[in-house]
Amino acid sequence: MAHHHVTSADIAINGDHLDSSKVSKVKRMALIVAVLGSVASIYLLFFASEKLRGPFAYSWLFAFYYFLTLSIGGVFWTLLHNVSNSSWGTSVRRTFENLGSTFPWVFLFGLPLLFPQVQVYLYEWMNIHRAAPGEVKEYLHHHEHLLSNKHWFMNLPFWYGRFAFYGIGLSAVIYGLRKLSTAQDTDPNPGTARLLTARYHSNYPLIIFALTITFTGFDFLMGLDYKWFSTMWGVYLFAGTALNSMAVIVLVCTWLKSMGHLKHVTTSEHFHIMGKLMFAFTTFWAYIAFSQFFLIWYANITEETSYFSIRNTGNWNIAMYFLVFGHFVVPFVVLLQAWLKKNPKMLSIVAVYTLCMHALDHYLITIPERGVSLGHIKPEVFGDIQVAIPGAFWGDILAFVTIGAAFLFILIRALGQHSLYPNRDPRILESANVSN
Amino acid sequence: MSTTRKRVYGYLAEFKSASALYKGAEKIRDAGFRKWDCYSPYPIHGLDGAMGMKRSILPWFVFFGGMTGTATAFALAYTTQVVIYPTVVQSKPVNIFTVPAFFPIMFELTILFSGFTVLFGLLGLIQLPRLNHPLFASDQFRKATDDGFFIAIEARDPKFTPNGTRDLLAEIGGANIELVEEED
Repeated sequence: MAHHHVTSADIAINGDHLDSSKVSKVKRMALIVAVLGSVASIYLLFFASEKLRGPFAYSWLFAFYYFLTLSIGGVFWTLLHNVSNSSWGTSVRRTFENLGSTFPWVFLFGLPLLFPQVQVYLYEWMNIHRAAPGEVKEYLHHHEHLLSNKHWFMNLPFWYGRFAFYGIGLSAVIYGLRKLSTAQDTDPNPGTARLLTARYHSNYPLIIFALTITFTGFDFLMGLDYKWFSTMWGVYLFAGTALNSMAVIVLVCTWLKSMGHLKHVTTSEHFHIMGKLMFAFTTFWAYIAFSQFFLIWYANITEETSYFSIRNTGNWNIAMYFLVFGHFVVPFVVLLQAWLKKNPKMLSIVAVYTLCMHALDHYLITIPERGVSLGHIKPEVFGDIQVAIPGAFWGDILAFVTIGAAFLFILIRALGQHSLYPNRDPRILESANVSN
Repeated sequence: MSTTRKRVYGYLAEFKSASALYKGAEKIRDAGFRKWDCYSPYPIHGLDGAMGMKRSILPWFVFFGGMTGTATAFALAYTTQVVIYPTVVQSKPVNIFTVPAFFPIMFELTILFSGFTVLFGLLGLIQLPRLNHPLFASDQFRKATDDGFFIAIEARDPKFTPNGTRDLLAEIGGANIELVEEED
């Protein structure tokens, strides 16, 4: 396979800019859907009857966390590219940064979680804390000892403090790194200084990243059932995050290439590498998902097994079996093919597929808890504990489409702001000629 | 020993750099030769493409080797833990649904068998270990482990002709062209 050797004559000297007229239609549509959906969602979250508000709080959490993982993943790949001093990814680095830059905006969709009107349906421990007469810790010590032991972590001020940290931390990180990167596009004397700065300011943010993916998972998802815990929860969420943000990156790069962008700099070799990363994280997800199940299954502790008991009740059981084959076996076998990973269109099909499986994964993380919790928190409104709330599915779709449209709008907006690849990066030619 | 019979192995030519070797390989590929090889002190990215190498069959060996490992481990664990001597732990059932307990060993044996298939399959395909190679008869070939880049075209290639092949090697930039003979 003889490649045309890319030289500086092939690099767009003033950058490769997205033609805004070509994407304005998609962008406008996404914005309209996002605004209409948000209006409907605000109504369903705060003003509708309790019977609608309760189930929709879970729909919102599911959709919010799904798109949050994709944004966090964009930050992760940016950081990893910088700290590992990688050269292959320079031509797709801007896509990492653009995906990561959606983080602050997607995080805004988590703001409803700050309101007690929403929290009341999701986080039972907060209800217990709020209802406690007198000194909270003292009350818990006598009435809910488990929560008393967890009080140092699960208390309202600390929870709100962590919420602020999640939002500000990674937003500051990606804002700074993206600014550093895009400023080079117009620098008449681009050197290596920015690369070294980016590398330096990507090492400690990896800790911020790890804390964010782990503890948002603890606070927003694991907190749905305060009795339940899993030490593999953070890494489990991370596995899905890394895999599916790479899937989004593959889709964006394929889309940009189909419009004639990233010419000469992003080749089938880059898609091969990105496909290999998807393959690696498909396997990693399975490894972690199984390890989590295995530890819980073996130890057989009531507090831990509740997670799988709920998800193996009724039809959730079929979905859980489907997840094993759909999220692991199928993509594993498909992604083994080298030719497929080198073909952007084929890899994009797999990327769309893994994103669907990611939706199923997160649906199974958040939603089975709904029927159990609502029946437990407010039996006078929602009746007995049930496997699933009838009709609540439509709310899930509404929330997913709303935040999804907003995510699309923010991503396309970010793509249009700067050159689509770092055209003055000293390593752009090395990246363009990569071979593996 | 004038009675020693010799057999022509093929032509050996030196190239002055990795890129010269790469470009030479592309020309020999395009000329349609099959029995030939490149020798370099270090791996050269993309040389397999320049040589027109076909995809190795090794991955298929490894796939079936790995599957054999999975099946072996499952059979071993299932037979001993369920059929012959059921081990009841924490009143968990002893049947096919105990399979999660077998996953670690199934995983490990898959890796082990795959690893063995890679190693021994590769050694078989490249015909190693061997005691000698005809090219060792050439003195200049020693440089291949240090700073020399070589292409050798074997005489058993159907396209090989004594003069034509030598001229081709000279034409594409080969130097120190040598007819290598092996002792019969």
